[in-house]
Amino acid sequence: MIHFRTRLLMASAGVALSAVLFPALVHADRAYDPPPRPPVQTEAYCLGCHGEPGLSLTLPSGEVLPLTLSEDVLRASVHSPLGIECRACHTQITTYPHPTVDYATRRELARSLYLVCDKCHSDNYDKTLDSMHARAAAAGNLEAPICTDCHGAHDVHPPDQPRAHISEICGRCHTEIYASYAESVHGSALLQDDNPDVPVCTDCHGVHDIGDPRTAQFRVATPELCAGCHSDPELMGRYGLSADVYSLYSLSWHGVDVSVYRANWPTIWHESAVCTDCHGIHDIRRTDDPQSRVNPVNLLSTCQQCHPDAGPYWTGAWTGHNRVSLERTPFVYYTQAFYSQLTPVVLALSAIYVVLQIVRASVERIRKALR
Amino acid sequence: MRSSPAAVQTERTFPRFSLGQRWEHALIIVTFAALLLTGLPQKYRQTSWSHFILATPERVELVRTIHHTAAVVFLLEALYHVGRGLVLMSRRRLSSAIFPTGQDVRDAGRMIRYLLFLSPRPPSYGKYSFEQKFTYWFLFFGFGILIASGLMLWFPTVFTRFMPGGLIPAAKLAHSSEAIVSAVFVVLWHFYHVHLERLNLSIFTGRLNERDMRRHHALEFERLTGEPASDETPGDGE
Repeated sequence: MIHFRTRLLMASAGVALSAVLFPALVHADRAYDPPPRPPVQTEAYCLGCHGEPGLSLTLPSGEVLPLTLSEDVLRASVHSPLGIECRACHTQITTYPHPTVDYATRRELARSLYLVCDKCHSDNYDKTLDSMHARAAAAGNLEAPICTDCHGAHDVHPPDQPRAHISEICGRCHTEIYASYAESVHGSALLQDDNPDVPVCTDCHGVHDIGDPRTAQFRVATPELCAGCHSDPELMGRYGLSADVYSLYSLSWHGVDVSVYRANWPTIWHESAVCTDCHGIHDIRRTDDPQSRVNPVNLLSTCQQCHPDAGPYWTGAWTGHNRVSLERTPFVYYTQAFYSQLTPVVLALSAIYVVLQIVRASVERIRKALR
Repeated sequence: MRSSPAAVQTERTFPRFSLGQRWEHALIIVTFAALLLTGLPQKYRQTSWSHFILATPERVELVRTIHHTAAVVFLLEALYHVGRGLVLMSRRRLSSAIFPTGQDVRDAGRMIRYLLFLSPRPPSYGKYSFEQKFTYWFLFFGFGILIASGLMLWFPTVFTRFMPGGLIPAAKLAHSSEAIVSAVFVVLWHFYHVHLERLNLSIFTGRLNERDMRRHHALEFERLTGEPASDETPGDGE
């Protein structure tokens, strides 16, 4: 029989030794403390094995599923510091040995495991069900993104730090669009200057309920989408841009037409120009950039997309979202000046003349009657 | 009132407008009304009544087609009117009484003095009073502007091959403004003079009765009959 104190000493030494040799086990020990936070504290316990390098599994597809996870990665994610640990998401694993993995491919596994996001993030999860991505998946495209494709699985971070990260995430799949966006006035300001004012992908397309931007509804709603920023005088003032572009567009031929369609027939496709038809979509550039579609050197060919017969003088018809002024639009200016005088003058003089005639004729009749 | 059957009076009437001129006027009424009715919902496109009228995209197409069709008829009528007038006047078969003269300015001054109770009698007029000439020429130029600007709006790419593009938005403004001015002028000025002041149907019947001739076109009456117009007829005082 070993003396009790000796046993205690050996145990203590063992714990100390373990702490040096198997830090994971010590962390696992902490799991037996009364939990300071309600969520299940399994992280340290799981890392006891999954922190070991080289752990992996070969799926029936032949793909290798790595099972090793860096503790640093896990700790840096948003979930771990909040006490949301392994079992919160890996709900099917409750014990060791684990149940067998019966997914044929890594994608199949990911598409099954991400469903658990719904547990806590049901609002955003529900939104994704209406999204373009969900529709692509329903149509059989299993590569259509799921939560973890954009947000990560074990390494979930706030997506907007920095803000450019949002667009970079989209750019992983939408590479061509991302490349042209990166060159655009919006994209370059975002990627080079981390400009907080320019739109990232999700500002226009929505976040979780990303709709189809090719529909008639999206098209007729485009001017208001752009107007969200471009009719804000303070925001536009910072860049020396006019905040009247939307209100003046709304009065134009194109704008009136589009607003009518939006109000009455949003689902009927209509060709009247919206912002993006002339300025471009992802490749919008400053209007003084020679590569801009609305730069004077390119304007005619942009108009000719819809008005193929337009000749060289045609672009002069474009008042360019400017208020009527003598310098820019002299013909409209003088026409407006003329009619702003003529209309009330004709109205007033005709009315006065007719009233005078009625008075005079009435007096004349009364005189004759009295005679 | 009749003293004896033998004293039956036959009313003398005087020719004023030819059959062709009356048809022209009828055509102008119909097409101008059609153009106004189909143009106003397009001008005021963002109002609820316009949405009610132009309730479907097909309806918009229909209204535009009617507007264009009426515009073609209106344009042909205008060309015929000017062409006929020029040809007939050059052959001295149409009086040039419609052209404004210095007398019209003097008449207008005298009429205003009469209306302001500064003169006891209105001026005497020839075939056309200065009011009628003003109606004609105001609408003549108004219709000219409407036709020119309307064609520019209909065929903007054609016009901008040889004209500055800045004219197109100006034409758009002119077309809708001039339409309103013309419509207001017709309702206020023209309707008053031919319906309220006195019912003058000569543009439809082609003839004017003796009383109206004596009263409103005294100089023309004297020129046609050689009688003095101021000779008050018995029924004149009412």
